[in-house]
Amino acid sequence: MKTRTLFRIGALALGMALTTMASAQAINSGAQTIALNATLAESLTLSLSANSVNFTLAAGSAANAGSTNITATTAWVLKPGRTAVGVYAYFANAAQALTDGAGDNIPSSAFFISDNAGASTALTSTVAFGAANGGMQLANVAITGANKNSSRTDVMAFNINLTGGTLPQLPAATYTGTLNIQAQVTP
Amino acid sequence: MRWRTKFGRMALALAAILSASALPLRAQVRNSGASTITLQAVLNDSMSVSLSGNAVSFNLTGGSASNPGSVGVTATTTWLLKPSVGSVSLYAFFASSSAALTDGAGDNISSADFQISDNAGPFTALTNTVPFGGANAGLMVSNTKILGNNKSGTRTDVLNFNINLSTLPSLPAGTYTGTLTIQAQAI
Repeated sequence: MKTRTLFRIGALALGMALTTMASAQAINSGAQTIALNATLAESLTLSLSANSVNFTLAAGSAANAGSTNITATTAWVLKPGRTAVGVYAYFANAAQALTDGAGDNIPSSAFFISDNAGASTALTSTVAFGAANGGMQLANVAITGANKNSSRTDVMAFNINLTGGTLPQLPAATYTGTLNIQAQVTP
Repeated sequence: MRWRTKFGRMALALAAILSASALPLRAQVRNSGASTITLQAVLNDSMSVSLSGNAVSFNLTGGSASNPGSVGVTATTTWLLKPSVGSVSLYAFFASSSAALTDGAGDNISSADFQISDNAGPFTALTNTVPFGGANAGLMVSNTKILGNNKSGTRTDVLNFNINLSTLPSLPAGTYTGTLTIQAQAI
């Protein structure tokens, strides 16, 4: 008799426990998905703090500084696999970087740029842009995992050296020209 | 004799009349035993989520905290629940917190950089561990208490999305894809 009573109590307790478990079950909806597509476009830009420089030339002088420095700001967002960003200054014609339009020219080899207070360097290299022997590489930035999205600044100071070749005999005139600044990412 | 015969006939007729009038007393209502039919009607509990759209695009700006999704998505949750259910919650989640979106080349946008605004509320990153998805990869979008008057109910959540790249300044250019899942649970 006692065993029966205990059995009944046990069965009742089990039933109550099962009922409680059933009522605490979570009900889940079906999972709905949203496809996400985010594009970070590759970009490379270069901006200048100013677009004109004047020189007051002294005949035969090595030091004819530009009226102002110009800061080039290069910014980039690159895809994986890119290894370098180069910044270049160049002329379209190495023999006629500046000209008076009457056959008198200042070549690119007489035009110097100092980048970020570094050594002043003539534009005599063949670079990615411009004329043969009419340019120089201002900067080269190695791209690693840490700077695929980055920027750099190059403060350029200019000088015209009138000591080379026939330049000491350069006639008085106004000489004009266009210096180009451009960046390239490789490969 | 005749009189007797006549009287006898009358008595017989009277007896017949009395006998006929006694018939209704014998036609009393009789009931059969009651037979039962067991009825069972089941109203199953149910819950579903539907989305107004299944794709969102992002035009990313490197390093920017604000990169909104191209479109908001409305999640409509509908339920029919048993009395024992206490609340209905809607969740958004990714399978992986570290690679919510990926370019497939090892560059990832984490769920911590993915944000959802529910019904024009503040943007919140998916950094919680919820009943579905990866650890620290989810967000409880909404929670509805189930009371006596809303065991059968519905609610809408207008979801707007943003990717915060301020913590990923070196993310390379690329196309990043991922799947956001929306799911509801009643418990």
